[in-house]
Amino acid sequence: MRHFRTLLAHELRSAALSWNTWAAGGLFLALMGGIHFFALIEASRAPSDRTPVESTLWFFWLPLLCVLPLLTMRTFAEERRSGTLAALLTTPASATAVVWAKFLSTWIVWVVFWLLFTVFPLLTVQRLGTPGDTRLGDPSILWGGLCFIAISGLLHVAIGILCSCVTRSSALAALLAFICLLAMTAAGGAMESLPIESWEWLGWLREPAAHLRTFGHLQDFAAGILDSRPIVLYGTGTLLCLGLAVLSVEGQE
Amino acid sequence: MNEAAPLPEAAVVAEKLTKRYGSLTAVEGLSFSVAPGEIVGFLGPNGAGKSTTMRILSGTMSGTSGRATIWGVSVALDPAGAKRHLAYMPENNPLPEDLRVEEYLTLRARLKDVVPSRVDERVRKVMDDCDLTRRASGRLIGQLSKGFRQRVGIADALLAEPRVVILDEPTIGLDPHQILGIRDLIRSLRGKMAVLISSHILHEVEQVCDKVVIINRGRLVAQGRTEDLRRELLPEVSFTLVTRSDEAALLVACRAIEPAATVTTLPSADGWSTFRISLPTGSPARETLAGALIAAGISLREIAEDRFGLEDIFLAATRRTPGESRRS
Repeated sequence: MRHFRTLLAHELRSAALSWNTWAAGGLFLALMGGIHFFALIEASRAPSDRTPVESTLWFFWLPLLCVLPLLTMRTFAEERRSGTLAALLTTPASATAVVWAKFLSTWIVWVVFWLLFTVFPLLTVQRLGTPGDTRLGDPSILWGGLCFIAISGLLHVAIGILCSCVTRSSALAALLAFICLLAMTAAGGAMESLPIESWEWLGWLREPAAHLRTFGHLQDFAAGILDSRPIVLYGTGTLLCLGLAVLSVEGQE
Repeated sequence: MNEAAPLPEAAVVAEKLTKRYGSLTAVEGLSFSVAPGEIVGFLGPNGAGKSTTMRILSGTMSGTSGRATIWGVSVALDPAGAKRHLAYMPENNPLPEDLRVEEYLTLRARLKDVVPSRVDERVRKVMDDCDLTRRASGRLIGQLSKGFRQRVGIADALLAEPRVVILDEPTIGLDPHQILGIRDLIRSLRGKMAVLISSHILHEVEQVCDKVVIINRGRLVAQGRTEDLRRELLPEVSFTLVTRSDEAALLVACRAIEPAATVTTLPSADGWSTFRISLPTGSPARETLAGALIAAGISLREIAEDRFGLEDIFLAATRRTPGESRRS
């Protein structure tokens, strides 16, 4: 545990000083700021069922696919390439401590990015809104959506970490993470759009499909519906990915 | 250092270590040991399996079979326990480019379980010992020269005062002054830590090490003290002499005192002849040769015994078939 704390502090410090984090943060805020800006413009043109905040959060997949792989790609791939991972493992620190420290630090950075994003809707409400009017952004939707992003982010970051563990190339790690996250997000969306109910031979898929509704989970969280199933899905998925990452780190020679 | 731990017979034990990559055997049935406080040179040609063996001993790679222990702790069964007694500096000495030397050493000290209250003291001590304090402590590792990076690696190895230090090519890339400094530093560890050091600079190994282990194609070909190996691997002593006498007269004079003596003509100039006389290592003629030649009327300008160094031992050892080694 002492090694984990030492490693976590080191990883957070490294992340704070890394140009990679700042570049990813800049890209993230530019993306989300732009999306929020266009959501506000759209809302001012025509009435909509969704508030600008909801519309912006709906695009969470964009930074997920474009920014998160930038954060996770270097975690292990770069250290494997330079040999510093092997040097790190010559100390009594375990592979588990190393993997969890890198995972948690990346997740914290990811959550901080999203917390920084809240400045946009909060500023919008403060500057343009009127007291009691939630049309520009209902805080409960914002915080519910962020809860979803934080919880699903555990699995998303773990996937990125696992992808970084299996290669020495940061670019390949980013590409792998992009593909895996795209498959995961699109699979959920595809399942939702397919008329599975009408296809009897796909009946067995109904139950698992219900679990993979990524956008459905966002909707539920934003609406304040707390369902334990997605939490279990993201939690177990995270543990599985990190377990595989530990095995990968321990097994590399 | 763990003061209370009992002293094991050997600080490092490799017992029938084998490492295979598919059909390729990198190390096969390798056995040797390093006593506590002993400095051992680990030699072999490129691709002999030195780095693989060191990586197995350090726990960064698993062996296919065999046993490796560090200070009595099995590397395979209790890697964390073994690593507490061990410091390993890999061949290319990978270091994070974006940390300052002091920050890096502080991090490593914490990871190596140095008592928190002693971390600063230990970092300062190893930085002083490795001559890093004045010129490198505040600099980014990525900006350091090769020599300073090697010193950072060695400082890291010594940080937690381990029982065993494994250094893979520690002086590679250093200038002669730096090599001298590192050599003195390693020599100062004698009696305090067991050191296993691989190097291609055989003169350096000869200067520093109590014993050498020589491997070739993954197998042990020789191990022991340099003197013992010299006797084992170099069965002859030789003398170079410069004279006006001819080879036949010289051979007769030599055979009179040692029937197994041989004489070889060497290139020479200025009217004098140069010869090499070879005698069996144990021959008593070694001590009486000069006197006997003069008594036989051979006019000598020079006579000197050829000194065989570790280089000759290494060449002799690596020429012989792996597996015909003998423990000295």
